[in-house]
Amino acid sequence: MVRRRGQDKGWFQLDNAAMMYSAIQSGTYSAVYRFSAVMAREVDPQALQRAIDRTMPRFPGFHVKIRKGVFWYYFEPDDTPGPYLQPDIQNPCQPVYFQNKDQLIRFFYYRHRISMEVFHALADGGGALVLFKTLLAVYLRELGEEIPNQEGILDVDEAPDPQEWEDAYARYARSRVRLRKSEPRAYPCTGTPEPFYTLNVTMGFVSVQALRQVAKSHGASITEYLAAVLIQSILARQRREGRRRELPVALAIPINLRPYFPTRTMRNFILTVRPSIDPELGDYTLEEIISQVHHHMRLHITRQEMQGVITRNVFFQNFLPLQLVPVPVKNFVVDTAYRLAGNRPYSTTYTNPGAFRVPEQMAPHIQHMEVVLGQSYTPRVNCASISYGDVMEITFAGTVKETDVERDFFRTLVQDGLHVKVTSNRRE
Amino acid sequence: MSYCVNCGVELDKDAARCPLCQTPVVNPVCPVDTTIPPNFPVERREVEPVNRREAAVLLSAVYGVVSLCCVVLNLLFWWRGMPWSAIVAGACAMLWVWTVLPLLLRSVHSIFLVGLDLLAVAGFLWVISMAVDGGSWLGRLALPIWWGCSVVLLFLWYILPLRSILSRCMLVLGSCVVLMLWLELCIDLFLGGYQPMWSLVVAVVGVTLMAPLLIIRYRPDLRREVRRRFHF
Repeated sequence: MVRRRGQDKGWFQLDNAAMMYSAIQSGTYSAVYRFSAVMAREVDPQALQRAIDRTMPRFPGFHVKIRKGVFWYYFEPDDTPGPYLQPDIQNPCQPVYFQNKDQLIRFFYYRHRISMEVFHALADGGGALVLFKTLLAVYLRELGEEIPNQEGILDVDEAPDPQEWEDAYARYARSRVRLRKSEPRAYPCTGTPEPFYTLNVTMGFVSVQALRQVAKSHGASITEYLAAVLIQSILARQRREGRRRELPVALAIPINLRPYFPTRTMRNFILTVRPSIDPELGDYTLEEIISQVHHHMRLHITRQEMQGVITRNVFFQNFLPLQLVPVPVKNFVVDTAYRLAGNRPYSTTYTNPGAFRVPEQMAPHIQHMEVVLGQSYTPRVNCASISYGDVMEITFAGTVKETDVERDFFRTLVQDGLHVKVTSNRRE
Repeated sequence: MSYCVNCGVELDKDAARCPLCQTPVVNPVCPVDTTIPPNFPVERREVEPVNRREAAVLLSAVYGVVSLCCVVLNLLFWWRGMPWSAIVAGACAMLWVWTVLPLLLRSVHSIFLVGLDLLAVAGFLWVISMAVDGGSWLGRLALPIWWGCSVVLLFLWYILPLRSILSRCMLVLGSCVVLMLWLELCIDLFLGGYQPMWSLVVAVVGVTLMAPLLIIRYRPDLRREVRRRFHF
């Protein structure tokens, strides 16, 4: 096991992705995402707070604060009580500032919905879902249900395992090549910005079985099919704008690296792939877009290629001259680099953490799952989806007034014969 | 349950409009149910923004200490025949307006802060003139030039974000021409009499550059032709 530096001193280093998210976090960007579970019964706030109090000590990596050092940010255990359950709000995924009272993880409840918001520096979706699943199990036990520790639910009476907090990027940065990719600028897909801190959320619900059949009829997986439909919606939007020269439409699709590089870490361990379509080459049908996305993902999601990218990212982190740059300068450089290399080459983000599986004793107590991504640098919508049972939930969230991307997206699903139910937090 | 007639998606029972296309829900069989609680909470909350007051206090202390030390040095040890510390203190005051006020006044419009910055420049010019006993050039040369620069800068600050690239180029060129004409007028009047020369050359070059831009801007056919010829 790789021992975290500074572990015995009560602090530990940020991983590679956490460094980036900490540097770029600002009032106009929120590296916060939310998972929600809509329960069969209305939420009991007292029982849920008890469940949080029981669960959080098992996950010490989530109960930390980010402190600013001279050269780097670092994590420090949060000794303050909490986190406390709060009534839910209309505008989720508010940004995090690294002030004393700021919690990097937040819990909300509203009627049947239990929500957990996580700052991305702490963990990726895969890691956060382990905590959320365990919390839901403990909550149901508080209500008197018998829930076994299966399907990834951790035993909260066990001591925390240090392997769950290893920096897996550092462990697998072993490639001989530091793979460098320069991505061209993509269509920005921006719209009219909403007032500060507004996050418009539109959710669509589709049957997983029906969706799988439709995706299969196109020769693709669900993720590839949904990504292709999203690209098609953005291409249509760009065409309506009447641009003289159309830019490529590209998605940032985070890939969970755990299946390729064995680790038990709950911290960040993801990379992104970038399927894209260049409309300057000609018009693409949906079939052709699906085919492009399908083959791009199969071609580039390989262990060797991803290890080269990890090695390159970690190299910058360990490069001594860069290490000696003070934090404010480093933040500025990382922020600028992110705008150029992390934001400009992508039209939007689409993430699919996959199926949320629970023990069969737990299944009747959850209606469906929801996922929301925080606001981007620019006023545009991000897309995320998660499935539970036979319900695939697809969320569009952003600080943009227009709804044309999600409208075209869901209309395409309807045209493909899928039944879609839509709900939104937008006020008329 | 109701469906959007445009999008074909099922809507919430309490939805009065389709959230995707804003089409109103008119369903006599299943009217909008306003009695059920909404699917999302209605209460909004915003996290408190980062408090910049500490940075403002730190910067103010730095400027204050520098000014104070210079005044003490000037008065007690190093007079050199003039109150040079006033210039340093004036520069610190100007920097304070430039750097600290944006930290404290975060909600005001940027044009207001630019106006304050320009006023700080005028104040600094006044301090220099008082320190070096140059009151004569202040009123007849420095302040008119400052006034011209301020008007042009505030105009561009307000107008540029609203315009296209071609219009921006024309506005910047036009502003430069006006500024140069004004600059030569101020200098010539300060030196004795107005004899325009170099500013006219700048004006001719500027207007020559602006003319094709203006025609291209307002003639779409020509704009397309230029794009085709230049392959961009």
